[in-house]
Amino acid sequence: MTQQWLSQIGLVIRLEMRKTFFSRRGIWVYLLALAPVLIFLGHSFSEISNRKVRQAMNAAHPVSTETLRAIERGATIEEVMEKVGEPFAKVEFHRPRASFDIYQYTDGDSVYVFAFQNNRLENIDRRDRDTIPKDSLIFAGVFQFFFLRLAIFFGCVGVFTNLFRGEMLDKSLHFYLLTPIRREVLAIGKYLAGLIATVVIFCTSTFLQLAALSVHFTGSEISEYLAGPGWGHVASYLGVTAAACLGYGSIFLAAGLLFKNPIIPAASVLVWEGMNIFLPAALKKVSVIFYLQSLSPVVAPPDASMPALEKLLVTAAEPVSAPWAILGLLAVTIVILAVAARKARKLEINYSTD
Amino acid sequence: MSDRIVLDNVSRFYGEVLGVNRVTLSVPPGITSLVGPNGSGKTTLMNLITGLVRPTRGEIQVLGISPADPEKLFRVCGYATQFDSFPRGMTGFQFISSYLRLSGMPYEDCQRTTAFAIGRVNLGDAAHRKIAGYSKGMRQRIKLAQAIAHDPRVLVLDEPLNGLDPLVRAETIALFREFAAEGRHVIVSSHILHEVDTISDQVILLSNGYVVAEGQIRGVREEMSEHPMQVIIRCTRANVLASRVFEQDHVVEVRLHADGGGLLVKTRDADRFYRALNHLALDGVGIESVAPADDNVNSLYEYLIGGEESTR
Repeated sequence: MTQQWLSQIGLVIRLEMRKTFFSRRGIWVYLLALAPVLIFLGHSFSEISNRKVRQAMNAAHPVSTETLRAIERGATIEEVMEKVGEPFAKVEFHRPRASFDIYQYTDGDSVYVFAFQNNRLENIDRRDRDTIPKDSLIFAGVFQFFFLRLAIFFGCVGVFTNLFRGEMLDKSLHFYLLTPIRREVLAIGKYLAGLIATVVIFCTSTFLQLAALSVHFTGSEISEYLAGPGWGHVASYLGVTAAACLGYGSIFLAAGLLFKNPIIPAASVLVWEGMNIFLPAALKKVSVIFYLQSLSPVVAPPDASMPALEKLLVTAAEPVSAPWAILGLLAVTIVILAVAARKARKLEINYSTD
Repeated sequence: MSDRIVLDNVSRFYGEVLGVNRVTLSVPPGITSLVGPNGSGKTTLMNLITGLVRPTRGEIQVLGISPADPEKLFRVCGYATQFDSFPRGMTGFQFISSYLRLSGMPYEDCQRTTAFAIGRVNLGDAAHRKIAGYSKGMRQRIKLAQAIAHDPRVLVLDEPLNGLDPLVRAETIALFREFAAEGRHVIVSSHILHEVDTISDQVILLSNGYVVAEGQIRGVREEMSEHPMQVIIRCTRANVLASRVFEQDHVVEVRLHADGGGLLVKTRDADRFYRALNHLALDGVGIESVAPADDNVNSLYEYLIGGEESTR
């Protein structure tokens, strides 16, 4: 019997796969997956372009890193210009009681912005070129706050709620129910089909995002990173992506079975996951995002724009270890899948009211 | 194992809306027709028998199997529903073969059985075309092929003759008879009394969710002959067909459709009319579909069951 169930699950996966990958309804899932890749590509190309500009400026106004770093606050414009020459960009503006001068220099890598007030150097702002550790933090932020919470979340809404609900709307679900297949087996087969599709789509996206982000680094920088924590980070991000599909997939499969309009439960889950940082430590664990964040290799920097009052409400919960995070996520998934399978067993075809 | 389909005091409500109420039946093998006007509970009864909906009360056994156990039920039962929608992007062949594969049939057997089932409904030429491009009649036949493909002992068919032209209709009825002759159950629903009267071993009359009569209904034909029946025909050369049809002495009225692509015929003898239509179809008139007009059938039906209803 188990052999037959496995064979039926395999067949359901095959039948569903084409629908899931190539349905018109699924186009926006691809767009969600592609969006961060485009963002990181844009970032990389912008960085490459900036670097070219800096190198061109440095060629036109050559100055060494050591000379620029030797400049100290309090120096006059004349003293600065004597040491480092003409800036590549200069802005002046005057007020009745003060005059301001902004001079920009570059050593080819970093941009130095010297801000003078009344002919005295008041501030030095050094804008270094992007480094891998800096971009790792950017990636962690985008991954945790956009990719996990929105792209994969809504991608799973689109794929998994359609597995049953979409076929009810198409009035074609009954063909499955006319076959000698246990409804629970059908639910598992459909879930696995959705899981394979979302894992392929979003893990490909994660890999492409990392590749897109590394476009502007040199080969030696990338080799050095990969020789260190690099491959571990790549594997972890791919694992977290797959885990997100696993967890959110089960929730939205159940939502598609339990609710006529899955958008309402999807919105509720979105709110629950979004307010996770404000929840008490015990409640945090009844969510998918808590385990995903525990599994993420780089901790995303806190949102600097968060109001102080909100920061007070944020509750800290120690991230659980990777094995416990995986077990916790699996437990949440299995409980939800059991609910979905139970609902599938009692599923009725009543298209007129669906 | 029982050879009957048994419904014991079965009721089904959709919220406050009645589907069927207190239905108790013991259906023997042979062709059994469920007859009733739209909304009388025919489809609900078929969905209950096949487990697509669950009874609110009562119990159902199909050859001793509960419809709540699809794993067993659909090894002995095939169901052609009235839903006219199919999984997207599939050819007729893929549709049947994927269904058989899910039943656990090995690939080679599946290919052979699919070809055989499609051949039985004369759809061989269109087997590898997308179902989306099929005509209404072809879609009816592919559903029938799916229902019979695994050689079931119980065949449940919801309005299976809808949209079929006279020749295919005759072939399909012959197929039902073949199944019944082998001692199987063929349960057919229809809102056309005439249609089922000619093919059924027994008839179950439904009205407003209640079984109002069951068994062999003799005299229905006579009753029907007193009440003209309306038939809508979509065809080419509708004016030619109209003139030929009107030559029949049992035809009391013929009206051409405004678009010239069909006609409405009122006849006092549906049997003779269908026989005549078969000849006319062979005579150069392209008949696309033949369908009785509902309203008239409903009124006839109400006439037939009026006495039963009044006694309830």
